[in-house]
Amino acid sequence: MLELLAIVLGGIVTFVTRAIFLVSKKLRPPKRVERYLPLVGPAVLGAIAIPGILAPRGEISLVDTVPAVIAAVATWLGWKFTKQIAVGLIVGLGLWWAILAVMVAMGVER
Amino acid sequence: MITPPVPLNEDDRVRAARRAGIRAAGVIIVSYIPFGIAAGAAMGATSVDPLISILTSPTIFAGAAQIAAVQLLHVGAALGIVVLTVAVINSRHLLYSAALAPHLADWSTPQRLGAAYLLADPVYALAVARFDTPDGGGSTREKRTFYFAAGLTCWVGWAALLAIGIVAGGFIPEWVPFELAIPLTFLLLTLPLIKNSAGLVAFAVAGIVALVADPLPLGVGLMVGAVAGVVAGAVVLNVTDRNRAETVDA
Repeated sequence: MLELLAIVLGGIVTFVTRAIFLVSKKLRPPKRVERYLPLVGPAVLGAIAIPGILAPRGEISLVDTVPAVIAAVATWLGWKFTKQIAVGLIVGLGLWWAILAVMVAMGVER
Repeated sequence: MITPPVPLNEDDRVRAARRAGIRAAGVIIVSYIPFGIAAGAAMGATSVDPLISILTSPTIFAGAAQIAAVQLLHVGAALGIVVLTVAVINSRHLLYSAALAPHLADWSTPQRLGAAYLLADPVYALAVARFDTPDGGGSTREKRTFYFAAGLTCWVGWAALLAIGIVAGGFIPEWVPFELAIPLTFLLLTLPLIKNSAGLVAFAVAGIVALVADPLPLGVGLMVGAVAGVVAGAVVLNVTDRNRAETVDA
């Protein structure tokens, strides 16, 4: 019962963080701040994506970071030329797996 | 003789928006398959009742916070600690809420509440990428239809993946590496949102600061990185605007 209560309360606080500026038409971010709101997406998503790319398994290391960065560049190129998320993901993951396979063949351990 | 294309009416455009939302979110869900199932498997391996773990999807609907909540319940953390942890991890949604508010200004209150419930990371990214286009993502009906189609597809897909992982977890072979799938997906979600040098600086600074701040407890590093990114981007935006103004004056 306590577990159920914990996740229900967790859901409520999550909903509050998401709804706070949407719930009322009068409640708005300050005018001075509004022009910076388009920066929120790149900042928050960058804070999730970049650590995962530079340290895929939690730490920066040559054997993990270099293949991941190459895959990220390939992902960007795949998206840049097609504007398709699926293409970018397939190109990036495909190249990453290929690099890892070559590393295994060369006896490089991750 | 070539017949000119017939302009789409409102109903056709709304149907197209629905298809676009489902398609865009569907791609995201496919990329989430390894992470969702692995996360579910990790949750299924705890002492927490599988039904409770499954219920974290409709209640919290935010991957990292769901995993953290179940792990804390597993180690016997107090109720207040679990709720506080979820609140801190999901505090970034405050920024999403503020950024999305202008786009949803003409929606009804129940619609905005529904939108808030679905406002997870990929839903925000897909919505803003569409709403920030020159046509603003179309009419209010088109925008609403796209948002709910994308949001509900993400909701159903994520809940299903997690449930599969919880119930049947551990069937992904350990030798198949998938840890890069989620970072690359978030990179792809971010790229359409980077429209100028300020956006690029916000992205880079946020990522590097989040990485440095990663050892902080409760996943606070993510929020620290995000705030640092917004501040750095704002500085660049102010400098470029001032330079532009001086050029015009000269």
